[in-house]
Amino acid sequence: MEILNNLILGFGVAISPIHLLYALIGVMLGTLIGVLPGVGPVATIAMLLPITFNLSPIAALIMLAGIYYGAQYGGSTTAILVNLPGESASVVTCLDGYQMARQGRAGPALATAAVGSFFAGCVATLIIAVAAPPLAEVALKFGPAEYFSLMVLGLVAATVLAHGSLIKAIAMVVFGLLLGLIGTDVNSGVLRFTFDVPELSDGIGFVVVAMGMFGTAEIIANLEQGEHREVFTSKVGRLMPTREDIRRAIPAVLRGTALGSFLGILPGGGALLSSFGAYTVEKKLSKHPEQFGKGAIEGVAGPEAANNAGAQTSFIPMLTLGIPGNAVMALMIGALMIQGIAPGPQVMNEKPELFWGLIASMWVGNAFLVILNLPLIGMWIKLLTVPYRYLYPAILVFMSIGVFSLSNNPFDVLIMAIFGVIGYICVKLECEPAPMILGFILGPLMEENLRRAMLLSRGDPSTFITKPISAGFIIASVILLLIVALPAIRKKRDEAFVEQKT
Amino acid sequence: MKLRIKAPKDFWAGVMFISLGAFFMIWALTHYQMGTAVRMGPAYFPTVLGGLMVFLGALVFIESLAMQGPSLTLPFNIVDLVVAVLIYAGLGWIFKLMGIGGDYAILAGTVVLIVLSVLFRPGTKPLVLISAACVIYGYLMKPLGLILSTALLVFIAAFAGHEFKWKEVGILYVVLIVFSILVFVKGLTLPFPVCPAFMETCPIR
Repeated sequence: MEILNNLILGFGVAISPIHLLYALIGVMLGTLIGVLPGVGPVATIAMLLPITFNLSPIAALIMLAGIYYGAQYGGSTTAILVNLPGESASVVTCLDGYQMARQGRAGPALATAAVGSFFAGCVATLIIAVAAPPLAEVALKFGPAEYFSLMVLGLVAATVLAHGSLIKAIAMVVFGLLLGLIGTDVNSGVLRFTFDVPELSDGIGFVVVAMGMFGTAEIIANLEQGEHREVFTSKVGRLMPTREDIRRAIPAVLRGTALGSFLGILPGGGALLSSFGAYTVEKKLSKHPEQFGKGAIEGVAGPEAANNAGAQTSFIPMLTLGIPGNAVMALMIGALMIQGIAPGPQVMNEKPELFWGLIASMWVGNAFLVILNLPLIGMWIKLLTVPYRYLYPAILVFMSIGVFSLSNNPFDVLIMAIFGVIGYICVKLECEPAPMILGFILGPLMEENLRRAMLLSRGDPSTFITKPISAGFIIASVILLLIVALPAIRKKRDEAFVEQKT
Repeated sequence: MKLRIKAPKDFWAGVMFISLGAFFMIWALTHYQMGTAVRMGPAYFPTVLGGLMVFLGALVFIESLAMQGPSLTLPFNIVDLVVAVLIYAGLGWIFKLMGIGGDYAILAGTVVLIVLSVLFRPGTKPLVLISAACVIYGYLMKPLGLILSTALLVFIAAFAGHEFKWKEVGILYVVLIVFSILVFVKGLTLPFPVCPAFMETCPIR
């Protein structure tokens, strides 16, 4: 019954008019950037972080969370109508969603995606409410050794799930960890890697790095590729799926929800992994695998449910352990820190209205999203006809304003531009920026926990494998690495990514 | 000697990782205290990480010589990169001798890069112009104010694209600046200078 009381508390917070407004703004923005290809939730949330400074912590988190799961809804619209992923997690929706649109069944595809996402969102919200409190309980017992090992596991998982070369992904994580160390060393007060630049003594701002790596770098890459976007102009048609569609979609939605909820909790997981996973599962289980890629409704329902479920359950490690599973969660931690809240298991007990208010707002936000996405679908389709040459200067203006307003110092904008160039080079060299961002935010945390653990064990590194929980995390990391390093599975993984990219 | 690189992307990624890792490691070792495993000094963690990065970079590097990989296409070459760094370093040095602030050296270097990119390396326009537009916006915000620096940002950025029509970009700029002033200055009350510093009274605000 405690959960019920907590949820009532949460809904009390979430349905206050001001929080309803911020949930609406969040999901509207999320849908907007989800629909527009080339603008992702990471860049948008980074852009809005400075602005949340003026909001209450609850309003800020509600809005930022809305952007993330709202983008999952919006992304499917573009995937189905334009055959382009509006958001990276909807890459697989392109495969069958666009085919359905070509057969004149865009309406049912959109409706299935939206309703499936809504169902998944509701279930995921419940899962967070049930699973988070006991997890936080366990996490309160974690010492520095456990935290360090958990972070190792999180980083390893993030690299395993990155596209392309595993070694390069690990190297990017290490690069991020090193960049995170720039600034004043908390233990000794020594300025590290600041090169006598006074602005660097507080370290590089996380927002600035994220905007450079994901914002400007992406714009540069998009401009180099040139503009070739064809909007699928045929009418959306009636939204109502046929009875046959519904019969085939329901089990797919159920499976997608279960898989997405599970994969979202894993460190390194989230929306992207969930939708890929769900598509593979649907194709494997289907009686008609030959229909996949030619407009199978399961190929839309499963991944769309999964990416929304995954987007929401990925909040669990962030809320209970204070450890981000993906780049968006890293930004959420940044938002908490801006508000002066130390992320970790104590947030739930110290700020129950924040914790439960956020969870309840997710349900409210999902309800908004169904309304936004089905009756108002025409509005978003209009948006798709806006050419990129109008969009990117606008994005640049908002990013620059956001970064400049962090401290009213041009130095931040310079750093953003530099990381834009670094991000561009990384894209060219096929090095994924996402693992680097995770490393960047975990760098100082990892060093501190490592130091404490070693101090407690009097310099004996075996402490990480003699403590049972810590040993569990380390073993899991090693197993993950081995699995990916094994040639047979490695080949499969490469194939999977190739298949899903097309 | 002509070495055939089979996987240029991995080759250069390896070079990048090795040099970055080595830099962090050596810098940490020569500037900060190592400490012991029990009481780690500020150099301990960066040295370990730097070493790990060199090792990983070496793996990528060696693999790139043995295995076939996709080719790397860049709109500039390594000489261009060196030239760009030299421009900033040189201008910084000259401005320092003349007693002018480092901010102006960064601005001047950026302007020189824009000109060079547009004239000699049209392929680098997206990379150079987008980055440069942000830098110019940031460094001119205080002297020129929001209205003028946004104009520079929008026009320079738009020039990096495939199509550039004065009228279109002009309309886009007007929309964006009105929106920025209404939302960020009036709505969120961010402390931006709206008008240039040399204007004594600002009609807005």
